[in-house]
Amino acid sequence: MRLIKYVFLLAVVFAALKVPGVLFAKPLPVSMLQMFFFFSAVVILLAMTATDEGAAGLVQPVISLFIDPSYTISRAVVIIIIPLIAAWITFAAVCDEAAAPPIVRSLHPSPPSAFTAYGRTIEMAGLANPYRAIEKTDEAAFRGLVLEGGKLYFKNCFFCHGAKLDGAGHFSQGLTPLPLPFKGTDTIAQLQESYVFWRIVKGGPGLPHEATPWLSAMPAWEKMMTEDEVWKTTLFIYDYTDNRSRSWAR
Amino acid sequence: MIFYNALGQLPEFLQRKRPRFALEDFSARRSFNCAVLLLVLFATLVSSNVCLASTQIGKDIYQKRCSWCHGANGNGDGPAAAYLNPGPRDLTSGVFKWKSTPFDEPMPTDQDLRASIAGHKPATGTLAGLNGTSMPGWSDVLSDDEITSVIDYIKELGGLDPPALPSIELSGMTNPTDAEKARAKELFKDRCSECHGAEGRGDGTKRLKDDWGGRTWPRDLTKPWTFRAGSGVEAIYTRITVGIPGTQMPSFADTRSKKALTEAERWAVADYVASLANADTMPVAGAVARAARIETETPAMPDDPAWSKAAGAAFYLTPQLIADERLFTPTIDSIVVKALYNERDFFMLIEWHDRTKSLPGDSLAASLADGQVYPDGVAVQFPSALPDEDNATLPPFGMGGKEANGAVDIWFWQAQAKPGNNETLRILQASGPQKIKDMDTNASGVTAIGNYDKGVWRVVFKRPLKTQTDGMQFNGRRFITFSLAAWDGSNAERGSKHTLTPWLWMSMTGPPNKSIYFWPAAIGILSFAIIWLIFRNTVRRG
Ligand code: HEC
Ligand code: HEC
Ligand code: HEC
Repeated sequence: MRLIKYVFLLAVVFAALKVPGVLFAKPLPVSMLQMFFFFSAVVILLAMTATDEGAAGLVQPVISLFIDPSYTISRAVVIIIIPLIAAWITFAAVCDEAAAPPIVRSLHPSPPSAFTAYGRTIEMAGLANPYRAIEKTDEAAFRGLVLEGGKLYFKNCFFCHGAKLDGAGHFSQGLTPLPLPFKGTDTIAQLQESYVFWRIVKGGPGLPHEATPWLSAMPAWEKMMTEDEVWKTTLFIYDYTDNRSRSWAR
Repeated sequence: MIFYNALGQLPEFLQRKRPRFALEDFSARRSFNCAVLLLVLFATLVSSNVCLASTQIGKDIYQKRCSWCHGANGNGDGPAAAYLNPGPRDLTSGVFKWKSTPFDEPMPTDQDLRASIAGHKPATGTLAGLNGTSMPGWSDVLSDDEITSVIDYIKELGGLDPPALPSIELSGMTNPTDAEKARAKELFKDRCSECHGAEGRGDGTKRLKDDWGGRTWPRDLTKPWTFRAGSGVEAIYTRITVGIPGTQMPSFADTRSKKALTEAERWAVADYVASLANADTMPVAGAVARAARIETETPAMPDDPAWSKAAGAAFYLTPQLIADERLFTPTIDSIVVKALYNERDFFMLIEWHDRTKSLPGDSLAASLADGQVYPDGVAVQFPSALPDEDNATLPPFGMGGKEANGAVDIWFWQAQAKPGNNETLRILQASGPQKIKDMDTNASGVTAIGNYDKGVWRVVFKRPLKTQTDGMQFNGRRFITFSLAAWDGSNAERGSKHTLTPWLWMSMTGPPNKSIYFWPAAIGILSFAIIWLIFRNTVRRG
């Protein structure tokens, strides 16, 4: 019950903070909001544990700080110093010109259910790498396809995604956001091959609204590579990094 | 044991010390001999086997990791090679650029090869390879032993013998006196500037190529982070002493040459080269440009003294790789932005190192250029409507897009297109690379003046803060979004073949305005109120 009261209080304060932004076009920077919520969380925690019998021992020093007469000076110091520190941190944040404004962007937005490329509509459902089947049936032919994919990768992608497939290509440094790595378990290992196909074919410009602003330098390869070539390149980036694509089954 | 074999019996001192080994019986001695022989044979087999295995492991690693650039047979002709300058080394040629052995010793040491392959970790940042090239450092994916195996394989590919001469001596390093420093500057002018330029920015007057037929650009010595094999004085001394094999950069220790330098002179020149480093042009991740408020000056010229006081921010230039026609082998790599504004106008100085002043129709420019000469140029892009504070509505950075808020304004300056011509300025509005509209330059209020001097372009753009035209307005916002593009016309750059930056930010720092005290005060009072509330609560309950 008390928690609800505190949360309500928080909401009121938050609204109060937002008012200047809405009315006077002086919006509150995101970093400051984060800080406000951090402090509030700490305060709520303190207040909650203070009334709980079990936690009483834990917060005894805090309580005595507030009510014990012999702590008068420390009490005054705490009540004044903490707000001053908070104000100072805020001041430093406001004055920090060196930092660019933060941009929130979704890294792996959900794909559309269908997209147009190569002159037709491609459904995501059921989209699969046509060369995967050969992997088990004809090892030699499969290695040949991977090799072709490698050659395509090293003509089109390594500048950005790197000769080690680590996202650190020789032209990657100047890009924001940075090209993503393929090695490791955070990117293509978490994705369907069809998702990877869609990302390569439609690139940064084909990202959905959810992933805006459109900052990605990832080219839309539909104009520069055939469908076949994209699938072969996909084979290669999984093979080189010893990753497997995620399947619905797992 | 070997002793025993050769002499038929153990030498005396061994016999005395270890009588147990004194074998008197002849047949016992024979069988012992056989055993030793077998052992030696076995050992030889095993070790040769290890050798074989090592180059086999090396070959496998090479095929998986290196062949894409250096070629399946090591000829430097992998699928990536066509897109690179410098090109990947032809490992069968036996020529290595980054070696520590003297100029008259063609073979590198194993340590030299290891340094090139393993890479190095700079004081800040991640593992780097041969700086400024596509050759990465490999020590994060290959173990020391694996690198040894690859080196063995490379030595096999190039038919390399161990070097007959040891690495050059680095013990003669001294701190040059002032007189020696002055002399080093003279020596640099005389020996190095024809290639590296008067101030070392690589703007020499010689067209260079390497032994493999590739175009080479002499290093910009003011950018030590682009030095392939280290930028310390010792590394520079090594380059001056050894030369860079396969390129036209000679050894200055070769006494047969008129240009030879003594050891002390080479140390002094190395020290001078190290002093040319200019950190202002080095891009720093996350840098933000600044526009500072000035009162009266109007720094419309690139050489106005107000600019030397202004703070600059450096950014990487990346070649345009997004849409055809693309650029793969850029010659310019970083760009510096300074900005100032007064009550009425906004001034932006854009400064970048370019080895060549690309003047079409000029004979010097033609003699240095790679192909036909086009004019150099630079462009600044702004979103036509500055986005809201959380930047969710930034236009696509490659010349905007079709969506609402997708339009961009571009100020496109170009150097003279012919001797005697004027520089040109075009004002464009684009909503995508295919939808570009020329605007009225005069009405836009933008002017631009450029100046090339000793390897540096400086271009100043000027515009009133507020204009009557639609498009971007400086409306008192703290962060201005912009991006840049640059063209080196001597590198066949024109149209979509150019270098660029992603969206960047510029903070406009005005005279201190009261709003910066607003939030600190609000937060301070708020936290005080909350603590006070808790205090009252506790007291009441306690
Ligand atoms: C100009 C640089 C550039 C080039 C060239 C490039 N990419 Fe990208 N790529 C990026 C950037 C930047 C991102 C991250 C931003 C994003 O998600 O769009 C990315 C993201 C991706 C992703 C999404 C990964 C994930 O985890 O969601 C895939 C897949 C990808 N690239 C594949 C390729 C392939 C295959 C090629 C070559 C055919 C290629 N890229 C060429 C810059 C590049
Ligand atoms: C992305 C392309 C690329 C890959 C992959 C690559 N290299 Fe290189 N390598 C280069 C380039 C480019 C150069 C030439 C740099 C220069 O001229 O300064 C080079 C130069 C070298 C040199 C010559 C250094 C010298 O002193 O001249 C060696 C040795 C070398 N690479 C070994 C390797 C090995 C071993 C691997 C695999 C583990 C590898 N490279 C993978 C691009 C690559
Ligand atoms: C004939 C032209 C020429 C002359 C003369 C010349 N250089 Fe160079 N220098 C080059 C070229 C070309 C390169 C780049 C080679 C490459 O990376 O392929 C270079 C590269 C360098 C490098 C970079 C090394 C690295 O690790 O990246 C340094 C340092 C250097 N030169 C110093 C000097 C000094 C000092 C002198 C005079 C004593 C000098 N050079 C004279 C052509 C020359």
